[in-house]
Amino acid sequence: MTKHVTHDLRIEPTSDELARQDFMSNMRTYVLHDLANGMRSLYDKKVEPAFKRKKKRAPKDGVEVHKALKDETYFKFYSSMRCNTQEMVFRSVIPTVERNQQELKTKAKAFSKSTRKAKGTLNIPKGFVVPRSVSALDVHLMPGNYDTEYGKDDVVQGAIYDNGISVFSMGFFGDRLDDIGRSIAMFIKTRYPKFNPERILDMGCTVGHNTLPWAEAFPDAETHGIDAGAPVVRYAHGRAQAEGTTVHFHQGDAEDPGFEDESFDLIFSSMFLHEVSPKGIPKVFKHAHRLLKPGGLMLHMELPPNSDLPAYERFYLDWDSYYNKEPFYKSFRDSDLVAVCREAGFKKKDFVQFVVPSIQGAGVKTVKVAARAGKSKADSDTGRFRKGVTWFCFGAWK
Amino acid sequence: MATAATNTGNGKIRQSVRGKKSKFFKAEGVDELVSVCMTLAEELWVVKERLAAVEALNAKERLFSEKDLDRMAKSEKFRAAMDGESRAFIDRVFFVLREQAEELDADFKEYPLPDAP
Repeated sequence: MTKHVTHDLRIEPTSDELARQDFMSNMRTYVLHDLANGMRSLYDKKVEPAFKRKKKRAPKDGVEVHKALKDETYFKFYSSMRCNTQEMVFRSVIPTVERNQQELKTKAKAFSKSTRKAKGTLNIPKGFVVPRSVSALDVHLMPGNYDTEYGKDDVVQGAIYDNGISVFSMGFFGDRLDDIGRSIAMFIKTRYPKFNPERILDMGCTVGHNTLPWAEAFPDAETHGIDAGAPVVRYAHGRAQAEGTTVHFHQGDAEDPGFEDESFDLIFSSMFLHEVSPKGIPKVFKHAHRLLKPGGLMLHMELPPNSDLPAYERFYLDWDSYYNKEPFYKSFRDSDLVAVCREAGFKKKDFVQFVVPSIQGAGVKTVKVAARAGKSKADSDTGRFRKGVTWFCFGAWK
Repeated sequence: MATAATNTGNGKIRQSVRGKKSKFFKAEGVDELVSVCMTLAEELWVVKERLAAVEALNAKERLFSEKDLDRMAKSEKFRAAMDGESRAFIDRVFFVLREQAEELDADFKEYPLPDAP
């Protein structure tokens, strides 16, 4: 069931809007479970055997699976319905945001100014140029992306993202939509009990869903979040202040983030790198290396790399690259993660890779057991919204 | 430069996604029909949920009879109020056509997307 936004920037849908939002959550479950399972059966029973008869071998990668499936009517319905579902998720929350946009702006501003519950800061630099990979794309079919502004001090895109993700995630991100950050923070604390970061940076933080868990896991640390979209960081800051969690939010570009050399102990990102252009990726990693203190950790949560997955799973995840306005999704997941880290200055021996169970799905105990075991191999549950979901992350110590 | 607001004057937030739209069916219009059918399914559910709430409330409170319902549905005042709702409903169901019209107006040069295999 949908876990709707509950913090102090929540907005009240009408009963019809609420019914639409809950319906879209269930429609996503139908497309991602029922239709996806149907397409898999079609592939196993018809498409792959036909391919094998013709080529005397199985498809070797996701592209071959894609080519073999794309003329099937079932694939077309799956794809068409999945695109529509994605768009309708955001459309189901926009009227509620639209009706409340002035109130949201006023509330976010008031929370940002108040230091009663938290002492975070907000930095929106004048003259900041939003990278074209953000401004020229409605990524994952979200109208307006992270950066469109509807006037001064606007937070609309933050509210669309926050409320949209609550519908999109079908409850898998937990009550505060922070399951990724919470699960990984607990995993790292358990696995490395002596690691006690003093400064933390979350790159591509959007509204701070997965930034706040780090500040809460390490309350003595100074935690920062940067994102290219001004409306999302304004919203993030208002939300964090309302929640009583001190985080310093900045509008900034992870490809050129500023900050002093060797000034962070932990650099994190979640679901961010696949939204960075191939030209930008080496810059992000080089800056992460520059910003980390010796002994610091860079850690990125992402969808698992294609090299870890069988051909069908590669196709299934690559689908977003072609149809969900995620143009860099496949190229990032095709890359050699160890090589990307090495090129930025990290050593191969310091590379880490983990598969982290979801706290929301599996519970605290399972996360702690997995942390001690250090499981690192992705499987068909990794990054997929279903029972047993796990989160893939990788990075390196400096 | 940051993206310009698409519609600042009247507080309307853009609902359509900018740029190229994915098409899956060779026959013209089928993708649009899928979109319309999905929106209809969504709207039908909204009605079913609302009706279930009304029925549950009526069962609990015994507020009105079927005759009362008919009288209300036929009243001029009610029908006038429904008129605007009905127009908004049509706009939602046939959104995919509005999106095509909005695309013609959009001054938007999209970042290059990869071609499907």
